[in-house]
Amino acid sequence: MQGITKFLERIGRGAGKVVGTLYQAGREAIDQVVKNILPFMAFIAFIIGVILATGVGDALARVLQPLANSPIGLVIMSLIIGLPVLSPLLGPGAVIAQIIGTLLGTQFATQALPAYIALPALFAINPQVGCDFIPVGLALGEAEPETVEVGVPAVLFSRLITGPIAVIIAWVFSVGL
Amino acid sequence: MDFLVQAAVWFIGLFQRGAEVFVGLVTGIIPLVIVLLTAFNALIALIGQERIDKIGEAAGKEGFKYMPLRYLVLPVVAVFVLTNPMAYTMGRFLPEKYKPAFYDAAVSFVHPPLGIFPHVNPGELFVWAGIAQGVTTGYGAAETAALAVRYLIVGLIVIFIRGIVTERITAFLWARRAQ
Repeated sequence: MQGITKFLERIGRGAGKVVGTLYQAGREAIDQVVKNILPFMAFIAFIIGVILATGVGDALARVLQPLANSPIGLVIMSLIIGLPVLSPLLGPGAVIAQIIGTLLGTQFATQALPAYIALPALFAINPQVGCDFIPVGLALGEAEPETVEVGVPAVLFSRLITGPIAVIIAWVFSVGL
Repeated sequence: MDFLVQAAVWFIGLFQRGAEVFVGLVTGIIPLVIVLLTAFNALIALIGQERIDKIGEAAGKEGFKYMPLRYLVLPVVAVFVLTNPMAYTMGRFLPEKYKPAFYDAAVSFVHPPLGIFPHVNPGELFVWAGIAQGVTTGYGAAETAALAVRYLIVGLIVIFIRGIVTERITAFLWARRAQ
């Protein structure tokens, strides 16, 4: 009798733990959606709405189109965004990457840009990723101040090389899209 | 009077267009993201931090053959489990000279998985979703799925290259500094 009670208790406890973990996971998911995703969607929806309704989108697209329309243009875009002076300024919250991405998205929606451009474009809009965050990121990894002094320019210079390389690799991998 | 009416219609039209976009985003993206986030949050809670720490300790070793561990396995696992920005804390297991390169590899991996694993960086979902949403509208969902997989694969290659290049540049700058 005692064995059965123990067995049941163990099952109950195990199930409780799993359900508790899942419930907590659901709570975190909803938190992330409400705190991070929905506000950004509201912001993006407003911007896209205005851009589409006013025709500003067409004007911006005319500026971006020549750059976005060819792999070489995208390499140039990644070089500009990856410049060590610009990249830390363009980094915060990935806001710039998200806005340019959404603008390009409207061009894919109308098929003004071919689908195979999407993959290199994802890398061309983002060579600055994390460039605003290098000292903090290194500090999170418990780096010495000297490491930060060397590490910040090292990452910034590296982006100037690896940014265009990323676009070219993505272009190669976009075959068949 | 007509002019006023037209102006009013145009004005509210600006926001109606935005509202349509918003509804599309909310119904198209949010339900899937919520379910995925829940699943991965639970998975991460079950895996636990201690197991990840062990990979970090191994990745700090000297030598060429530990590069894939340092700039591929460790950043991927760190970003996947700890997510942005806590993933960068895994750098604490590495020698100082490898920390900038690890940061570079890890931070470059916070967007490529977004098409399949949005939990790694839900706050910056639109680096991916902006383009993906347009591709879905213009070319269909299958095309977007193919794009998501390729984004992840190219991301893996790029972070590995970035780790190696940044490690070299760090070594170069460090040597110059010492003189």
